[in-house]
Amino acid sequence: MSTSSSSRVLLGRLPLLFCRRRLSTAAAAAAAPASASASASEGEGKKEEEVGGGGGGGVISMKGVRISGRPLYLDMQATTPVDPRVLDAMLPFYLSRFGNPHSRTHLYGWESDAAVEAARAQVAALIGADPKEVFFTSGATESNNISVKGLMRFHRDRKRHVVTTQTEHKCVLDSCRWLQQEGFEVTYLPVRPDGLVDLDALAAAIRPDTGLVSVMAVNNEIGVVQPLEDIGCICRDKGVPFHTDAAQALGKIPIDVARMGVALMSLSGHKIYGPKGVGALYLRRRPRVRVEPQMSGGGQERGIRSGTVPTPLAVGMGAACEIAAREMDYDNRRIAALQARLLEGIRSRVDDVVVNGSVEHRYPGNLNLSFAYVEGESLLMGLKEVAVSSGSACTSASLEPSYVLRALGVDEDMAHTSIRFGIGRFTTEAEIDRAVELTVQQVRKLREMSPLYEMAKAGIDLKSIQWAQH
Amino acid sequence: MASAASAVSAPSRAEVLGLLRSLLRTAAKFSDYNVREYVRRRSLDGFRENKELYDPAAAAAAFAAAKSQLEVARRQAVVYSLYAPKVKSVLEIKSI
Repeated sequence: MSTSSSSRVLLGRLPLLFCRRRLSTAAAAAAAPASASASASEGEGKKEEEVGGGGGGGVISMKGVRISGRPLYLDMQATTPVDPRVLDAMLPFYLSRFGNPHSRTHLYGWESDAAVEAARAQVAALIGADPKEVFFTSGATESNNISVKGLMRFHRDRKRHVVTTQTEHKCVLDSCRWLQQEGFEVTYLPVRPDGLVDLDALAAAIRPDTGLVSVMAVNNEIGVVQPLEDIGCICRDKGVPFHTDAAQALGKIPIDVARMGVALMSLSGHKIYGPKGVGALYLRRRPRVRVEPQMSGGGQERGIRSGTVPTPLAVGMGAACEIAAREMDYDNRRIAALQARLLEGIRSRVDDVVVNGSVEHRYPGNLNLSFAYVEGESLLMGLKEVAVSSGSACTSASLEPSYVLRALGVDEDMAHTSIRFGIGRFTTEAEIDRAVELTVQQVRKLREMSPLYEMAKAGIDLKSIQWAQH
Repeated sequence: MASAASAVSAPSRAEVLGLLRSLLRTAAKFSDYNVREYVRRRSLDGFRENKELYDPAAAAAAFAAAKSQLEVARRQAVVYSLYAPKVKSVLEIKSI
């Protein structure tokens, strides 16, 4: 731009040098106006990165929080980083091979179509299906919508009932609520305190007009693995299609649609180190599962899901599935060891820690802990150098405690204090150790300040206290 | 039988060690802490796992697979460094 603006930048930097010491000890609120004026000429809003001298990096200041580096990522259930091998497979389709897979008349279309079909085969191989049974969608949410709403609407004349659980993902529950508004009936099965569904209750809930049973394979909040083969058996005996949301399960537990008796399955790309924005839907062919499409258009994906298939994303998902098939054993061994290290590390230094959900039937990469006498939000605020979540990303906007924990029968105060650690392929031992240190430090600090903890340590039963009204 | 097997020759010890060294050197070039550690760890564990492969065809296949992974790693090290964030991971900066 003009020289006057560049000299303004220079002048703007000078006060920054003088007030660096002040910035490093001042509160975040005081720091924000000082650095905001320095970077006013750059026109930046909330995020500022000063390249400082000490420490070989910079400081990130965002939303009133200052941290010296990028946090450790321990939130693998929210999303996973893209594996470099997946990125390598995807890039050519953003660069030179950018054709539309549905273009039949030229090389760009043919090579793009070949890539999509190869990716489809890779996804199918991971779940033990035929490639003709796999359809690409925009994600597991869309696949869940097609499965629940599409299937029931197709059979709206004869089947009017759906059976699902209270711990399903929000998109399944919301689709069921939508169906209820259209006049269908839905049974939301309660789960046991360990998170597993009661098989007898499930069998009893199935009626002659039940059109669908939907139970997720691995829960995203508590990591509990449902007994899919048993549920599949029950559904097969009763002649009801079994849908499972396998977004968190794909590539982590061995999935075989034939062995599990699954008729519909939702898959997600970005939970298995693939790109965001792609998922898949498995629809069994024998016996044929028919659904009403939710996206109208040119009839792509055999009429199930119209719209151009995003070649790079599909290729990425396929590559991620292939890598997951190869690396599943190695990853699971490592992740189980890391989970044990995390749990042992925390439990040995801090007491009154509860694991939410069954410990035996769980995917090791998901550890949901509740710390008694500690408030969840303040714990998270103090853990800014570790990226973890409390509850699930979908429900974090509201202040309600997680409905999944409520379904498990967890007390309100324990539900509010739950933290979900997500361990993945790229997590290192050093990260786990640092996370343990930071968590223990923060929990101890909060408990020291907590009058409830003092009372509990003195032996008073908190539930018996009559709190005086003011 | 023997002639068919000898058509595919197993890689020599020097070749295998050279490939592992290249993988570890490429791992060090990644700007991202997690990917760097993963490539290093996976290469070491992978070569350790396949140490006992005495069948020449299997050994040659494993060697070829590792070689193609080296190519992927080389390309991706460049891509990651092009888009490296200015701020490093908390683990690399300071101790508590």
